[in-house]
Amino acid sequence: MNKSSRVFLIASIVLFGILIIALFRLQVIKGEHYRRVAESNFVRIRRLTATRGEIYDQKYRPIVQNIPSHNLYLLSGKIQNLPALARFISLHFELTVEEITEMVLNQRFRTYEEILVVDNVPFEKMLSVSEHLNYFPELVFRIGSTRDYLYPNHFTGYVGRINESEYERYEEEDYSINSYIGKTGLERYYEVLVRGQDGREVVQVDAQGRSLGLFQKGGYIEPLNGLSLVLTIDNELQDFANRVFPAGIKGTIVVSDISSGGILAYISKPDYDPNLFMQRITPEIWEELNSEAKPLMDRVIHATYPPGSVFKPITAGLGLQKKVIDQYTRLSPCVGGFQVGNRFFRCWDHSGHGTSNVAEALMRSCDVFFYDLSLKLRLDDFKAYVLACHLATKTGIDLPNERAGFFPDTAWYRKTFGRNVGIIGHKVNLSIGQGEVLTTPLQMNAFFAALANGGTWITPHLLKQTVGRGRLTREQVERTQKKQLPMSQSELRIIQEGLFAVCNSPYGTARSVQVPKARTFGKTGSAENFMGKKTHAWFCGYIVTDKPEIAVTVFMENAGGGAAMAAPVARQIFDFYMGNIEDIRRPAVLPPQFRSAEDLAQEEPQAQDPLEAEPELKQENDEALHSD
Amino acid sequence: MKHFILINHKKFDFVLLGLLVVLIAMGFVAIFTASTTAISDQMITANHWWKQIIFAGIAFLAAVFLLKLPMPIFDILILPAFVLNLLALILVLFTPAVSGSHRWFSIGNVNFQPSESAKLLTILMVARYITKENLSEYRQILYGFSIMIVPMVLIMIEPDFGTNLVFWASLMAMLIAAEVPLFFILLMISPVVSLVASLHWLGIVIWIAILILLLLRARLSWVAITVASIINTFIALITPVFWMGLKDYQQNRILTFMDPTRDPLGAGYQIIQAKIAIGSGSLTGKGWLLGTQKNMNFLPEHHTDFIFSVIGEEFGFVGSMFIILLFFAFFTRLIHNVVQLKVRERKVATAGIMAYLMFQTFINIGMNIGLVPATGIPLPFISYGGSNLMINTISVAVILKYLNERGFIK
Repeated sequence: MNKSSRVFLIASIVLFGILIIALFRLQVIKGEHYRRVAESNFVRIRRLTATRGEIYDQKYRPIVQNIPSHNLYLLSGKIQNLPALARFISLHFELTVEEITEMVLNQRFRTYEEILVVDNVPFEKMLSVSEHLNYFPELVFRIGSTRDYLYPNHFTGYVGRINESEYERYEEEDYSINSYIGKTGLERYYEVLVRGQDGREVVQVDAQGRSLGLFQKGGYIEPLNGLSLVLTIDNELQDFANRVFPAGIKGTIVVSDISSGGILAYISKPDYDPNLFMQRITPEIWEELNSEAKPLMDRVIHATYPPGSVFKPITAGLGLQKKVIDQYTRLSPCVGGFQVGNRFFRCWDHSGHGTSNVAEALMRSCDVFFYDLSLKLRLDDFKAYVLACHLATKTGIDLPNERAGFFPDTAWYRKTFGRNVGIIGHKVNLSIGQGEVLTTPLQMNAFFAALANGGTWITPHLLKQTVGRGRLTREQVERTQKKQLPMSQSELRIIQEGLFAVCNSPYGTARSVQVPKARTFGKTGSAENFMGKKTHAWFCGYIVTDKPEIAVTVFMENAGGGAAMAAPVARQIFDFYMGNIEDIRRPAVLPPQFRSAEDLAQEEPQAQDPLEAEPELKQENDEALHSD
Repeated sequence: MKHFILINHKKFDFVLLGLLVVLIAMGFVAIFTASTTAISDQMITANHWWKQIIFAGIAFLAAVFLLKLPMPIFDILILPAFVLNLLALILVLFTPAVSGSHRWFSIGNVNFQPSESAKLLTILMVARYITKENLSEYRQILYGFSIMIVPMVLIMIEPDFGTNLVFWASLMAMLIAAEVPLFFILLMISPVVSLVASLHWLGIVIWIAILILLLLRARLSWVAITVASIINTFIALITPVFWMGLKDYQQNRILTFMDPTRDPLGAGYQIIQAKIAIGSGSLTGKGWLLGTQKNMNFLPEHHTDFIFSVIGEEFGFVGSMFIILLFFAFFTRLIHNVVQLKVRERKVATAGIMAYLMFQTFINIGMNIGLVPATGIPLPFISYGGSNLMINTISVAVILKYLNERGFIK
């Protein structure tokens, strides 16, 4: 044995000696203590769920609120008799024995956290089930919060329990298997803002509730509540638009504020109640939601339609831009149709319109004028112009899964119909918004708002600002794009003249659409389509007082003519708006619960009783602490 | 061809092999129970244990292959393998991060950690270059450092602090085995001791006194002693100043590393759960498959880094002692073997391997019972994990090969 191995031997005796002594102390001397701690099963980290931000309209009136809910949790490590437990749960809730067994066995490695078995248990149910809970110590009811959607709509979307694939994708972002996550709509788009950040707490008490004192300090991270969203939506206008939309018809209404791009009303019919998704969905409801009327589909942005005549301002604009026509140019006279090669394209009015200039053609919606105009335009110029007007392309609204729509170009026709395809016939069709062109109602709304806004196109959006823990303006969350339409002011004026005549001339297609104290502009459309015999009814328009006010788009699937069906609805909305313009325009006062300490300090000089706001503030904090 | 038979019965260390097999078999038992969950009367066992058996089989085949490999070829292969390993350590930095660090190559279902093989290859490299003939002590230390610093820096970038500590431990052991005078080792570790001593002024005084005394006994020149003590005093005095200069969160991070209970939601939580599990095992344990803490899955990875907590819980102090004494026997056998080897390179390499296995064992068990900070080092031979088991077994096979063929070439 030489010197170096003696060093090694001493080192190993020292190291292992330390381990043996420490183990002896831990297992033999303090063994009983740790055995008791282990039996209490209570040292664990509990997640403190952050309260999700609520959603308000532009006047801080609620659209989505949090309400308390009762949730049934299961601690799988405490299960004594799994078959009995599974039978018990399946007896009271709509879960099968197999589902419960599978849930318990699948999640056994994932977590020591409690498993959320049933959420949003009705109060009476909770009472009746609670009576039996002493037989099942592994089950516990906890109060949480759930969403209450105050009216059926398509923009808020809804939240739901995180599913397997979402959990795998977002696990790193601190979601647990019990987490809720925004599934569609604003709930999904602004998930990051609304969600907040869950807190953590080390639970270290024994069965009698005494602290085990294993940690001296720390062990608590406060949950940070999510930001509440304030939308550009006006609940009253939304409600009115909802009521004036004819029953039994599918379609949309979009009302937007022209100067800001904010959406005031967002209707898609038929709609659904997002609250349905807060409960386990029964097969009957599921069948209804997936019926042929497709109530789940947001027709404002998730469906694309041929625009028909509301597309004509585009064709007119391109003709003016390319100097093919000017405001006086009269093209081929309308004799109820137009001969192109060996095909006769009909005008909607079979008796014919005679000759028109561009404004008159818009006013009467004369197809022949645009047929003839299209012959003088190149298809690929057409496509570029359409895209520059932000049609057939995503608007960038703050909602998920927006559809782009479609506009063909030469290459597409060649690819689809072969190299020798005749483009002219297709071009003639496209000029009146028929054929392959598809747009969403929202795109049309944004385009008409831009026409009213001196040619400045603004991203349509729903979020105005956030309130609550952090106050962010829309610009801080996401920059609103402002772009110029490819139209000069004089071209714009010619088109506006046409749109004005539509509503105000005795020959206009929408001459009923007039409101006091404002000038109305608009365009009707009746788009032929493959979905049914009747045409899609369109009306796109806007009103101007001393400045541009709102743009309204009414769209009805297979409802008939735009003038007869859509225009009257738009007129009612214009009327309502002008009747309530002061209310709608008046900026809302920030409700006390959202005021920060600085706001209160600023207000102090003029406010009668600044303390008034404080109890409510405190109350909200209390609520936040209690909600789990 | 007589010399290339697999086992030389007179020289082969059957005791070491036997201890190795028993340790790995203990691992199967522990992994089986660690990956079993009982829910009411249902027992579900994950397939980790038979995967580990397959890993062990592959490791065994690799060991046989290594024993068969002619020694000259083995010697030639070390340098290129080391270089390839360094490349792998660089490449691994560009892999996607798994829980914050870039340690693993994932090919299909197989994860490979290049820092594992780097331990063994670096030891073999250092052993070769510090045992060149006619090297002064300074050069031995310099060579050892220079070779080791490259993989260490790369592993530090991953980042993997624990593995780096293992490198230090084996470098020390190799220098000792290479008969570098002990005062060199003392000088090398003295800055670390100074750092610790700086906690209290009395500590500084006592430590500097002991240092000077030990260096005097080593008959060092007055100049060297003066320089060493001044540097160490300086380090001890500057540390508090440096400490005050740190930001609060930086101080907290270091304090939490030293004392995990300061962070009950992070490292402290795991340590306390491991302590509860082991402590509640008491003297005789709760019995095979009957651990309650394990069953609650409080510890996320109890078949890997925290496997000892399951052993402690189910087999109690008696079982823990059995495992610890088994390890102790294994390491004393290795120390015994260091003496048997006469070729300096192999002797030094054996010491390095011994130190790296022993250090990992100490750190892992120490971490499970809350003695040392949690650093993510698995328990050799016992913890679940393919590349770890493979490299540890091959390391022992290298020693077996040295023993088997001793007195043959030189």
